[in-house]
Amino acid sequence: MYLPTAQLHQATTLAKASKLLQRFGSTARLLAGGTDLLVDLKAKRVSVDHIISINRIADLKGVTLEAESLRIGALVTITELDEEVAVREHYPAIIDATQSMAVRQVRNLATVGGNLASAVPCADLPPVFVALHATALLWSPNGERVLPLEQFFLGARRTARRDDEILTGVGIPKASPAFGAAYVRFGLREGNAIAVAAVAASVQLDGDGAIEDARVVLGAVSPIPKLATNASDALLGSQPTDDLFAKVAELATAEADPITDVRGSAAFRRELVGVLTARALTKAVGRARKEDR
Amino acid sequence: MSSVANLSVNGQTYAVAVDSYDTLVDVLRDKLRLTGTKKGCSVGDCGVCTVLIDGRPMNACLMLAADVADRKITTIEGVACEGQMTPLQKSFVHEGGVQCGYCTPGMVLSATALLDRRPNPTSDEIKDALAGNLCRCTGYSGIMRSVSRCENYRDNGTCAKTNHSLGEKQDGRSDYRPSSRAATSVGVPMPRVDAGDKVTGRAIYTDDITLPNMVYGKILGSPIAHGRVKRIDTSKAEALPGVLAVITGKDVPDTQYGVSPARYDEYVLARDKVRHVEDEVAAVAAIDERTAEAALELIEVEYEELPCVLDPYLAAEEDAPQIHDRYERNINTHVAQSFGDVEQGFAESFHVREETFTGNHIYQSPLEPHASIATWDHDGTLVLYSSTQVPHYVQYMMAHVLHIPLGKIRVIRPTVGGGFGGKAETTPLDLCAALFSKKLGRPVKMVYSREEMFHHGRGRHKQHMKFKIGVDRDGIIRSFASEIYLDGGAYSSFGVATAYYAGSVLPTLYRFPAYKYDGYRMMTNKPAAGAMRGHGVPQPRFAFECLLSMVADDLGIDPVEIRRRNAMTSNSMTVNEMDVGSCEFLRTLEAVSEKAKWDQKYNKLPKGKGIGIGCGGFVSGAGYCIYRGQVQLSHEKGRESFQKKSIFPHANAIVKISEDGMAAVLMIGAAEIGQGSDTVLTQMCAESLGIPASRLRIRSEDSDISPLDLGAYSSRVTLMAGHAVSRAGVAIVEKLRPYAAGLLGCDESMVEAHNGLMFARDAEPEGVSVDSVPSNSVAWEEVARKYFNDNGPLVGTGAYKPPDGLGGSYKGATVGTSPAYSFGSAVCEVSVDLETGKVKIDKFTDYHDCGTPINPLAVHGQVEGAVVMGASETVLEDVQFDEKGRILNPNLHGYLTMTIKDAPEIFSGLVDSYEPRGPFGAKEIGEGSTLPVLGAVAHAIANATGVWIKDLPITPEKILNALNAKKRVQEPASA
Repeated sequence: MYLPTAQLHQATTLAKASKLLQRFGSTARLLAGGTDLLVDLKAKRVSVDHIISINRIADLKGVTLEAESLRIGALVTITELDEEVAVREHYPAIIDATQSMAVRQVRNLATVGGNLASAVPCADLPPVFVALHATALLWSPNGERVLPLEQFFLGARRTARRDDEILTGVGIPKASPAFGAAYVRFGLREGNAIAVAAVAASVQLDGDGAIEDARVVLGAVSPIPKLATNASDALLGSQPTDDLFAKVAELATAEADPITDVRGSAAFRRELVGVLTARALTKAVGRARKEDR
Repeated sequence: MSSVANLSVNGQTYAVAVDSYDTLVDVLRDKLRLTGTKKGCSVGDCGVCTVLIDGRPMNACLMLAADVADRKITTIEGVACEGQMTPLQKSFVHEGGVQCGYCTPGMVLSATALLDRRPNPTSDEIKDALAGNLCRCTGYSGIMRSVSRCENYRDNGTCAKTNHSLGEKQDGRSDYRPSSRAATSVGVPMPRVDAGDKVTGRAIYTDDITLPNMVYGKILGSPIAHGRVKRIDTSKAEALPGVLAVITGKDVPDTQYGVSPARYDEYVLARDKVRHVEDEVAAVAAIDERTAEAALELIEVEYEELPCVLDPYLAAEEDAPQIHDRYERNINTHVAQSFGDVEQGFAESFHVREETFTGNHIYQSPLEPHASIATWDHDGTLVLYSSTQVPHYVQYMMAHVLHIPLGKIRVIRPTVGGGFGGKAETTPLDLCAALFSKKLGRPVKMVYSREEMFHHGRGRHKQHMKFKIGVDRDGIIRSFASEIYLDGGAYSSFGVATAYYAGSVLPTLYRFPAYKYDGYRMMTNKPAAGAMRGHGVPQPRFAFECLLSMVADDLGIDPVEIRRRNAMTSNSMTVNEMDVGSCEFLRTLEAVSEKAKWDQKYNKLPKGKGIGIGCGGFVSGAGYCIYRGQVQLSHEKGRESFQKKSIFPHANAIVKISEDGMAAVLMIGAAEIGQGSDTVLTQMCAESLGIPASRLRIRSEDSDISPLDLGAYSSRVTLMAGHAVSRAGVAIVEKLRPYAAGLLGCDESMVEAHNGLMFARDAEPEGVSVDSVPSNSVAWEEVARKYFNDNGPLVGTGAYKPPDGLGGSYKGATVGTSPAYSFGSAVCEVSVDLETGKVKIDKFTDYHDCGTPINPLAVHGQVEGAVVMGASETVLEDVQFDEKGRILNPNLHGYLTMTIKDAPEIFSGLVDSYEPRGPFGAKEIGEGSTLPVLGAVAHAIANATGVWIKDLPITPEKILNALNAKKRVQEPASA
C-alpha cells in the first residue's frame, strides 16, 4: 500500500495555506496528523494531486484558557489535549474521549482539527465538543468565522468549511460551577477500538439541583454527531433520576440513525445508545454535583 | 518531485532524497537500510512500524518523511547504547517478552517511551502505553513481565555501565563452562537464542533482505467470487514505465499444486476460472513495488460472472454452482467413520443431548506478512527466500510446479514473524517470484499486504457441527456422534487432513465406547481455508467441551467431575486406534481446579461474573508425511500405495564440531517461526553433546546447509527434531569415547560428557571452574582436537522416524496418529456487562501435560500465547463476507485481535510427566495449549449470563440477543 503521486506543500502561515487551497481546489487536501488522510489515500478512498501540510503553522498550536472560553488549536494532538492541565481540571468529558481514542502512536500524531474536520461519523471528539457547546473557528483571508460546532457537520465526511477556509481550532465556553459532562463509548475491544456507539451528555443544574440545560449527543450512530434534541429537552426542568434517564434513553434510541456494518447491527447499536445515554447522564450529573470528577 | 530532507535519526543527520509521497517507514527501511522498523499493515493498526519522534511513539507508516525533517527520530537501532542492550531490552530477553520478534522493535520503543516518562509504571499504564502494539505470539504476558521487571536489569543506572554485551549469551549460556556441577541445558528456562537480535532490530526477516539488482512483483486478484476469465489485456500495464514483465495464466506451468497430493487443484495464476474474490489472475514485475502496484490497475480482465455459493450446506444442494468439475456437489472430502455400536450406545444411555454449534472464520494474522525473494544461480539452481514454516514442503512443491529436481532448489528461511499454520504451504508469492526471476534474470521480491494476506486465506475452517452425546446416570459417556460441515473455501489446501482431524482427535481426551463421525469438507467461493493452530480440532473441541458441561448441568454433576469420570489415562488405545502413551490429564484437571478455587467459585459468583472449564490436547507430530513415498520429484513417481511406516526420516540433523573443539554447529531444517524451536533444539543437542548451550550455534535457515526436516506443523518439532539433534549429539560423543578413554585411562564404556568436560562415570569431577579442568577429567575440546588430528572433521548425524505401524487400517486412520499426545485443562474467569453484552476475560488458569519440559520459559510462552489467541478467537475474531463473497474486514481494524488491554491475567502450570517416546521425556505444547481455551471461555460466559452462545465468536450482540430472548420467554405477559 503506497501513497499516490502527490505533491507536498509545506505552508508556514495560514495565508499561504489558504492560497494553496484556493489554487488547487478539490485536488488538494490539508495534512495535519495524517492518521485519516494518509489511510484514505492509501486505501484509495480519496485521491488528490496536492497535499498541503499545515504542521508548520505555529498559530494552530497550543491550548489557551481565556476569560470566557478555552481555545484549542487545530494542531493540538490528542496526547497534548489529554495532558493539558486546564482540560484535566475543567473538562473531564474531554479526557473521557482522549483516553479511549485509538492508541498512543495515533494519539501522538492525530490532531483535534483533524478529528473534527475529517468528520468521520465514529470520531470521538465531535460529540463531546458539541455537548460542551463548542464553536468551530474557521479562518479565511476575509477573517474568522465562528460556527456552533453542531452546524459544522453536514454529513459523513462533509463539513461546512468553505474551500478557502481553514479550521484553526475550537472554542469551548467556560464551564459554570453546576455543570457536568461525560462521554461514554462502546468498542468491541478494550484497546484500539473504533466506537460502535457513543454518547456525550452535559447537564447544567440549577440551585435546586434540577436540570436547567442539557445536551445528549450521539456518536457513531448517525452520519454526524447527533444532537438528540428530544432526549435533551426531556431532561429540562426535572430532577435527575434513574427513571428520568431511562425515559430519556428511550428517546435517544429513537433519535439514533445507525447503520449495520462489521462492528454490529443497527438494532444492536440502538440498544447500546439507550444504555450509554443513561450511563453518560449519570456520570455527567455526578460531575455537576462534584461527586465524581 | 524528489527533494532532499534532513532526517535526524538515532543522533545522526542524513540528507536523504525523498519523494513527496514517501512515508517515513519506507525511507527508513529502503533508503537508510534501518530494517528494524517493520511493516505490518501500512495503516496504523498494528504498531510494528513504531518509531519515536521527539521521544514519543508514532506510526512511521502514517507520516510523510518530508514532513518530519528536523524532528528527532529514534528507531530500534538507536535504543541500545554503545552496543549495550538497555535494561529494558535485557528484560525482554530474559522475561520471555520475545517470540517471533516482529512486534518486538515497536514494543520496545513504546515501552522505552513510557519508562522515560514513568520509571515505575502501574500495570494499567503499561497496558495503555502498549495497546497500539499488537502481538500474536506471547499473549502479552511475557511483555508485561518484561516492562514491569525492567528494574531488575538496571545495573548502576545506565546501560553503558552494565557488563552485558550484545553478542553475549545470557543465563544458561553465559559461561563457556558453567561452574555449577548441576548446570544442564535441558529443563532450564534459557532465554531464546535469537532474543538479542530481535530486541535490537538486528533479526533479518525476508522483507528486510535486498539483493543487488532486485525487482518487485505484485499479483492481481479477481474482483468477483466466481467466473470464467474471458480475456486479459496486459498491454497498458506493460507500457507503464518501470514495468518489466506481466504474466497471466497462459504463462504459468500447466501443473496444479496444493497440499494433499490427491487434491492438487490450484494453478499459479487462473487458467480458466476464478473461484473466490482476489483469486490470482495476473502478476506484474517492476522496478519497485509502487510501480508494480500501479500497473495492476492497468490490466484489463473480462470475466463471465457465475453464480457464487458461500454456504457449505447450500453448496451441497443439487442445483448449487459447481466450483470445481472434479468435486461433485462441491464435496471436497467426505469422511464416514464409525467405531463401536453408536445406536446401541444411545439406546442404553440415561441421558442423550443433541446440540448444534457453529464456528467462525479465523485468520492466523501473524504480524509478519508473507514474503518471498527468488533468484536463480547461473547453474540453474533456484534460490528462494521464503517466510515459511515448512521449507521442505515449499521445496517439494516448487519442484513439482517448476518440473526441476528438489536438489536444484535451495530454500532459505530467514527469521519468520509468526505462522500459526498460515505459512504452512507454498504461496503464489513463492511461485510467481520464481517465474519472474527466471524470466528476468534478476532477483524478485514479493510481499503480501495485510489485505492480500486475508485474501490468500488458509485460516481456520469454519465448521458447522451437529453433536449428539449419550451418557449414563453417572455422566459416563456411552456414545457420541458428530456431523460436521467444514467451509473449505475455493481450494483444497490442507482441507482433506482438516476434515479428518475434526473427528480424529476428539477421542484422545475422553473414553468413547462408541463413536461416529460424518464430515463433509465443502467447496465455497471464499479464500481456501487451511491449517491453523490446533488444525481442525479447536472448533469441534469447543463444541464438545460446551456439550459436556451442558450435560453435567443436566445431571447435576460438577463439570470438573464429569471430565474426571471420563478422562483418558496412560497407555490406552482410543476407540479410533490412537495409541496414547503418557497421559496426565487427570492431574491437570485436579491441579487446575484447585489452583483456580473451582469449588468455591462455580455457581457461587455474583451476577455478571462467571467461571468455566475447558480441556484439550493434541498430537506431538503427525505420524505420517503429507506426501507418500520417498523424497523425489513427484512427476517421476508412480502412483504409490500407502505403507504403514515412514519411508524416510522426518527429522534429520548434523552436528559439526569446530576444529579447535570450542564450538558445535547444529544443522537442521526445523523451522524457527517464533515458537522457539531453535532454542529447545540447541538445548537438547548441547545436553547430548555434554557441552554448555553457549558453545552451540544452530543453523536451521538454509536447505543447502541443513538436512531435511518436515517443518513447523502438527506440533512435531520438539519431539521429532528433538530426537534427531539428540542422536546427532550422541553420535559425536561415541566418536570421542576412545580418545577420552585414552586420556583418562579408563574403559571407553565408562566415559561421560557433561558441561564441557569428559570424565569416567564413577569419578565425576568436583570444583569445576571456568579456568581450570579438574584433575580427574579432561576438557571436552581437548578430546575433540585429538579426534580431528587423527580423522579430520568431527561430524555426527541423527535422524528420527515415527514408529512403524501407527494407527488403524480404516480410511483416514493416519490423521491424528502421533508418537505422543498432550493434555491440558484450563479454567477461565470472566466479567460480563449484562446491559451491553461486553465480555472481559479476567483470568486464565491452565495446567498442561507436555511431558517433561525442555524449556519452561518457552513452554509457558506458548501457553500464554495460546490462551490469548484462543480467547481472542472465541470472543472477537471473524472474517466477514458480503453476499458477493467480498471480505468486509480484511484489515486489523475490522478483524480484531486482542490487544494487551484485552489479554487476561494468566497462570500457566505444568504437571509432572514423562513421555517414553519423546526426547528427554518431552511432548508438544504449541497447539495443544489452544484447545482448552475456547470451551473454557464459552462456559465462563454461559456461567456469567445464564445463556449458552453456541455460535462463534461470542460477541456482545449475540449475548444481548440471547439475554433479551430469555427475558421475553420469562416475562411474556409484561411485554
